[in-house]
Amino acid sequence: MLEIKNLHASVDGKDILKGINLTVRPGEVHAIMGPNGAGKSTLSNVLAGRDGYEITQGSVVFKDEDLLALEAEERARRGVFLAFQYPVEIPGVSNIYLLKAAVNAVREHQGLDELDAMDFLTLVREKLKLVHMDEDFLYRGVNEGFSGGEKKRNEILQMALLEPALAILDETDSGLDIDALKTVSGGVNALRSQDRSIVMITHYQRLLDYIVPDFVHVLSDGQIVKSGDKELAKELESKGYSWVADAPQAGQTA
Amino acid sequence: MKQLTELATPFASVAETSVLPGDDLPWLQALRQQALTQFSSAGLPAKKEEDWKYTSLWSLTQQAFTHDAIETTIVPEQCEQMALLDDAYRLVIVDGEFATDLSQLDGLPSKVTVQPFSTSLASVEQQLGQQVALDKAGLTALNTLLMKEGVMVHIAADVVLDKPIELLVINSGATANLAAHLRNMIVLDENARATVIEHYVGVSDGVYFNNVVSEVVLAEQAELFHYKLQQESQQAFHIATLAAKQAAGSQWHTQNITLGGQLSRNDVHSRLEGEESHTTMDGLYLLNDEQHADTHTRIDHLVPNTTSNELYKGVLDDRCHGVFNGKVMVHKDAQKTDSNQYNHNLLLSRGCAIDTKPEMEIYADDVKCGHGSTVGQLDMDQLFFLRARGLDEVTARSLLTHAFAVDVLDRIPSESIRQALSTVIEQRLPRGQK
Repeated sequence: MLEIKNLHASVDGKDILKGINLTVRPGEVHAIMGPNGAGKSTLSNVLAGRDGYEITQGSVVFKDEDLLALEAEERARRGVFLAFQYPVEIPGVSNIYLLKAAVNAVREHQGLDELDAMDFLTLVREKLKLVHMDEDFLYRGVNEGFSGGEKKRNEILQMALLEPALAILDETDSGLDIDALKTVSGGVNALRSQDRSIVMITHYQRLLDYIVPDFVHVLSDGQIVKSGDKELAKELESKGYSWVADAPQAGQTA
Repeated sequence: MKQLTELATPFASVAETSVLPGDDLPWLQALRQQALTQFSSAGLPAKKEEDWKYTSLWSLTQQAFTHDAIETTIVPEQCEQMALLDDAYRLVIVDGEFATDLSQLDGLPSKVTVQPFSTSLASVEQQLGQQVALDKAGLTALNTLLMKEGVMVHIAADVVLDKPIELLVINSGATANLAAHLRNMIVLDENARATVIEHYVGVSDGVYFNNVVSEVVLAEQAELFHYKLQQESQQAFHIATLAAKQAAGSQWHTQNITLGGQLSRNDVHSRLEGEESHTTMDGLYLLNDEQHADTHTRIDHLVPNTTSNELYKGVLDDRCHGVFNGKVMVHKDAQKTDSNQYNHNLLLSRGCAIDTKPEMEIYADDVKCGHGSTVGQLDMDQLFFLRARGLDEVTARSLLTHAFAVDVLDRIPSESIRQALSTVIEQRLPRGQK
């Protein structure tokens, strides 16, 4: 599904990612944890195709294609989905318009006909239930005036509609109270399947109580310094990030 | 004050040789004579004049315009396609001449007059020219000198018009370098209510000149929804003055959308002369290539307890140039004035420019006034978000641009008109042009 090899990336000449290696197979859920400044958001942005990052070394192959050669929209259409840490508000663009345009962009790429308004509405109503959202949200501006929890639920709604092959969840738990966290992770869990991979990027172990990963990796100073199963996350929780940062694999970390 | 008097088009002698309506009306003859004197001495405004600082009419003065249109045929199907609204009373002018066969004025309620200007002159003696000053801008004098056609709307007291009126002014392109001086008069008596759309469309991509003056008179409690949609050819010159006088309790709601023209200039002016009167003055200029569009607005609060809202937005691309100059005058008797004025601009390229100056002059001490202007670019986070959802860059940019632009339509109460204008704006964006 996804194969990251020796990925180096920099921003404004500053190296952020310093040789990431990661293999994600279909159906797997990986958690990438790490302290602030480790490069977590850079990794998710680089995978999603945001401008402003220079790839200095390495490769990323997604479903046998060179992911880094594709524009952001091309990646999205091929099934890469980034759930944003801070979903933007777009006043003047209705949520339903965005959702429909996004679904039809993917369908067009897959050689399917566009969904008409009625079919789309039927589909979106079904998905709304998954994240406990009212239909009202469809007719508001994208994320406009949404609470933190509503914005994150809206991200999962988009994921549910787009049915991506690879979902990257960037700090999806940040800013959520416990009820919202349960709703959001319930939505994500419902979307787990054997042909969909999920990469969760998070600072805290809390999210992993709700979305249980198959693998946990620790990112520190631009490298994955430790990998394990879900028990690693618990160990991190009790010992803190300094525990892995001081470990021999930590490489250049001071 | 130096003015542009050396013109490639001898407008003054055009007046002598043309057959203009109202030759038999002494008061109109006098008015035209006054305009001739004014225009002969002053000519067209030059850049040294403060109000014309950012807009040069040099290119206009170099054009040799003709005032005689050759016959042309616009078929009803074309006209239907061009019209903004399906369900409206429609008065159509093609190449400066009233087009009877294309107009749809059947079924107008009694006490409502919608007529070509040329045949209604006898009834407008009291009001014609009262809303605009001949001496200020030479273009109003020029219009008054040569005005020939337009629409005359009169709604009698207490009448609520059932459908909008669309004035559709078409330049067919059949006559090269055609100049037309259009004069519109909209008069609403006490408590009357109507919607009027001025819609200018160029069929060709040729050069021509439309010089428009629209006068609005609103009696007590009258309410006019007044929209202007300018879709001239990209080579056209479009200059328009739109001026209203408002009596107590009257409401004038304007939306002014500029899409076409190589050079366009709008002067929009309201005078709030009666208490509890209100003006909405909203607009959008959406420019690309080397278009130049200048909007000057002025709202005079003359008496206590009047209100105004103004929102103009600009979307500028390529190497175009936009100008916005808005003035709100709160006169010394105008206590309790409530006024706000905003101008927001979105620049889509490095080559374009905007000169924006919102101004308030306040001579009363108990007022609530706010104003401001902004100039910005598309939000990169929003753009990335849309692309990360699979929308290509052109679509994403167009969508964000449209979202920025359309809130100038928010204050239009009619869903169908708002939707029609929104679609026109959408089609003008890169995504809509594919």
